[in-house]
Amino acid sequence: MAEQRGTVGGPVLTEWFATPDLHKLATYEKLGGYAALRKVVTSMTAQQVIDEVKGSGLRGRGGADFPTAMKWSFVPKDHPGPKYIVVNADESEPGSAKDRYLMENSPHALVEGAAIASFAIGGHQAWIYIRGEYDLPYEMLQEAIAEAHAKGYLGDHPFGTDHALDVRLYRGHGAYICGEETALLESLEGKRAQPRSRPPFPAIKGAWGLPTAVNNVETLSTVPWIIRNGGAEYAKRGTEKAKGTRMVTVSGDVKKPGNYEIVIGVTYRHIIEELAGGYLPGRKLKVFWPGGSSAKVLPASMIDTSTDLDGLKALGTMGGSGGIIVMDDSHCVVKGAARLLRFYAHESCGKCTPCRVGGNWAVRTYDRILANEGSQLELGVLERVADGLQNGRCLCGLGDAAGWVIESTMRHFHDEYEDHCLRHTCNVGAALAHA
Amino acid sequence: MSALSPHLLEEIKALPARYPQPRSAVMPALDLAQEELGYLTPEAMSEVAVALQLDPGYVEGVATFYTLFHLEPIGKHRFYVCTNLSCTLRGAEEIVEHLRGAIGVKEAGEVSKDGLFSYEEVECMGACEYAPMLRVDHRYHYDLTNEKIDALVAERKSPAAVRPASAPHPSPLSERGALRAPGSDGERELPKPKRTRKKAGG
Repeated sequence: MAEQRGTVGGPVLTEWFATPDLHKLATYEKLGGYAALRKVVTSMTAQQVIDEVKGSGLRGRGGADFPTAMKWSFVPKDHPGPKYIVVNADESEPGSAKDRYLMENSPHALVEGAAIASFAIGGHQAWIYIRGEYDLPYEMLQEAIAEAHAKGYLGDHPFGTDHALDVRLYRGHGAYICGEETALLESLEGKRAQPRSRPPFPAIKGAWGLPTAVNNVETLSTVPWIIRNGGAEYAKRGTEKAKGTRMVTVSGDVKKPGNYEIVIGVTYRHIIEELAGGYLPGRKLKVFWPGGSSAKVLPASMIDTSTDLDGLKALGTMGGSGGIIVMDDSHCVVKGAARLLRFYAHESCGKCTPCRVGGNWAVRTYDRILANEGSQLELGVLERVADGLQNGRCLCGLGDAAGWVIESTMRHFHDEYEDHCLRHTCNVGAALAHA
Repeated sequence: MSALSPHLLEEIKALPARYPQPRSAVMPALDLAQEELGYLTPEAMSEVAVALQLDPGYVEGVATFYTLFHLEPIGKHRFYVCTNLSCTLRGAEEIVEHLRGAIGVKEAGEVSKDGLFSYEEVECMGACEYAPMLRVDHRYHYDLTNEKIDALVAERKSPAAVRPASAPHPSPLSERGALRAPGSDGERELPKPKRTRKKAGG
């Protein structure tokens, strides 16, 4: 495995990451691993597990930021047949690599968390839907699940009890849209991954038409810590409403890109300039994406913004999946936005017209602009396309995200757009080769 | 003669029982077919459809949706190079250009004359802290430079190293050992796939 870049020995998620061979069950268990699952199945009720997690204030780390305990409590308790936990390990938000980092370092934490979540909803099976490109994490999870079965921590009688628990793997095959939970469920069912209209919500009708809670890798990897140390202990960290710690991936124009565990509430300056080592020699920060490419950009002047999730929402952006993409003054914002629009257009599943047509329309407009064929007309077209993609016109957030990239880069960097469209110049020397 | 080998078709027919509903087997089945043939031919997709008792058009619809299924011939070693924003900021475009020269192709999807190589520009693969990066033969390669590209190509050209055979097996079947045996408690509560008769493959 490559040298790991990121936090080891952090407060919660990365607490044990400095220990070699943490991916082995023996090591994980020696440090205290599987004590949480043991406690849950031998001495707790499902409701007690939900209450403990509720007390932690844990919110989903896949991007939607929804309270985890509440999501579990929506799954009907009296449903007679199977219910599922589905783990969203389809991490594909540009700029986000933290789920891979967690799985490669501590696959057992995810397996343990998924098993605890299954117990909490009164289910017996968790399915980890993992993106097809993640070969190494897939193999490590396979190994981890096999080890847990061999030890009797999963299976018909985990820790000698009668609440059967199993964790299974399902590989994705390359589709960003699978990060959207209902598209992921479609894919798990063997279909083209197109989002469903809601209601019904997955809690009522999820995987294979049965009650399901879909949780992110990081969310579930946090759960064993909460059970071991108590929800109240977790809630001591973070801001008033956004509790705990989270992973962020810092990438782009910084000295030390990596996956860092932060206490929610620290500033982006702390993350980018201290944890990630600051900017490359002679360069200055221009703009950053605070939570994956889908989060509205913040200009350099907003570097002191807090990572408080609610504060980011109030600013009209989001903490999202935690992918912080840093762009310095040697790169062109218009070209960066054009590259991202190509991504959103390519990954549109095609189900909703505004997203399918709007994305391509934006790409063609950016192509004209970058070929120095832009004018006032193109500026107007981009504004209207951005509006057409947003505001709930599509079933899922992909269209909105594409619109946000255009809208937020135009709002903060209108001068660069004007340079390209009206003066056919770029104020950046070393531009992206072609966007 | 069928496109897929008889033993593979048997494996594919056994897949649906692993899932709460048989349709979930379609992607794992296409995976096996692609692994055997290198890419998915129309015949292979029909045989998968017959084996899973699905409509061939449906199977093709799934295959065309996902980036990792290939409907055209590809190189034995296929480089997936990330060119999304984080990698582009760190020089991915130059890496792609160098790779083209190193494997002797002009554009994405083109197969080198010796049949060994092709490349794709793909979206973010979730290893942004190592940008620029690529995936080849089921492994990620990080902090790419032109020299690293040359080395990756060279080691795949020498006869001793021509594998993806030694690459980790991506088959869903390789996880078999990790799963509990069918018939246990959790398994019994699942709806059984409706498979009453076997059809001959192809």
